[in-house]
Amino acid sequence: MNGHDDMSATDVLSTVRDSLCGMPVAGPPDVEAIMARGRAHRRRRLIPGVTGTAAVAAGAALAVTALTPASHLASPQPSHPAGRPPAAQLAAWTVTKLADGNISVTIRELADPAGLQSTLRADGVPASVTFASQQNAACRPYPGGTPPQAPQPLQVTTLLKRVFPKPYNELPPPPRPGGARLVPANGRPSGPPSPSPDSTVIVIDPSALPGSAGVQLGASDSGDAILTPRVVYASPQCTGS
Amino acid sequence: MSNEQAEFADFFRTSWEPCLRAVLAVAGSPQLAEDQVAEAFAKAWASWRKVRRHPAPNAWVVRTALNTGASWWRRRSREMPLPDHDLTAAGDLGVGLDASLLTMLRRLPARQREVIALRVFLDLDTETIARQLGIEAGTVRMHLSRAVTTLRRELTAANNHGG
Repeated sequence: MNGHDDMSATDVLSTVRDSLCGMPVAGPPDVEAIMARGRAHRRRRLIPGVTGTAAVAAGAALAVTALTPASHLASPQPSHPAGRPPAAQLAAWTVTKLADGNISVTIRELADPAGLQSTLRADGVPASVTFASQQNAACRPYPGGTPPQAPQPLQVTTLLKRVFPKPYNELPPPPRPGGARLVPANGRPSGPPSPSPDSTVIVIDPSALPGSAGVQLGASDSGDAILTPRVVYASPQCTGS
Repeated sequence: MSNEQAEFADFFRTSWEPCLRAVLAVAGSPQLAEDQVAEAFAKAWASWRKVRRHPAPNAWVVRTALNTGASWWRRRSREMPLPDHDLTAAGDLGVGLDASLLTMLRRLPARQREVIALRVFLDLDTETIARQLGIEAGTVRMHLSRAVTTLRRELTAANNHGG
């Protein structure tokens, strides 16, 4: 065969298979968490006109899962390269260290902010996380422009990249009353939140963070929005270091 | 664990990776693919008595994951993404990936990608793919043929360019 010039259909498909099967993928989450999520689907299907109350119940159920240590829920699969560990769990949130050093935060429910904060800090990200209407007052926004330590102009979007598989306003609420409110894209408070187990993904590039900066996930200045990722000055009171 | 739970757990353990690779070939982003597949498996457990009798349960999972992804993206259109959000989807592909081939796949029309994914990663025959996608077997063959033609051309060009 001369290169790919006379590849048969089978050759082409084999090339696709061989190439993509060599790429690292996450291992399966804990099956118990998947089944718990499935049971929540089943409950919602059985109850027509499900309301936010049911959403809170579903959120509380999954929040319990989030309290289980990740190492107890997932183990590396032999086929996974060391740089791409399997997803730790399917729970209120998941923190995954990617092969390129970025930290991926998948938030499915607004639960256990202290745990998320601790996990991020343990992964080397100075972080402040508050899933409440009040953010940490000790945090000061990091100024735009070029910080002394960084060779490139500092842009928040280069440090915190968000994808929106699901809108914020469809994240389940925290499992306790009086917590954060959810705000859709137009900035106005939403109606009763959907019980959807959908998630929001935030990718943090720690190497792009100046030494004096950290990450804050929390309410906006208006006190309405949540999950607003921002770059702030790192300090013991704000980001723990 | 009941027999039903054990059966699902076994299905989940053995099907996770091929389903994830199939969805990844269509979705492009590992993180989105993982979320979509996890959601699809949760839905499979919610309907396990139906899904377990399905002629190709893993195809059911892949199709559900892809539908879930399409739903998410439709809803996402109501959001105002950050200017570089697409860079995230393209840039978090991990290591060891033949990025050029994935790029080729992502340039294919969605239906052609789906057909390729179901054929390559789930090893489904044309009739089963047709049932899964709700299209005629002849249409599956057409999509497969066009996808193979495009991929062959791009592989050839990449090979020639690479010397």
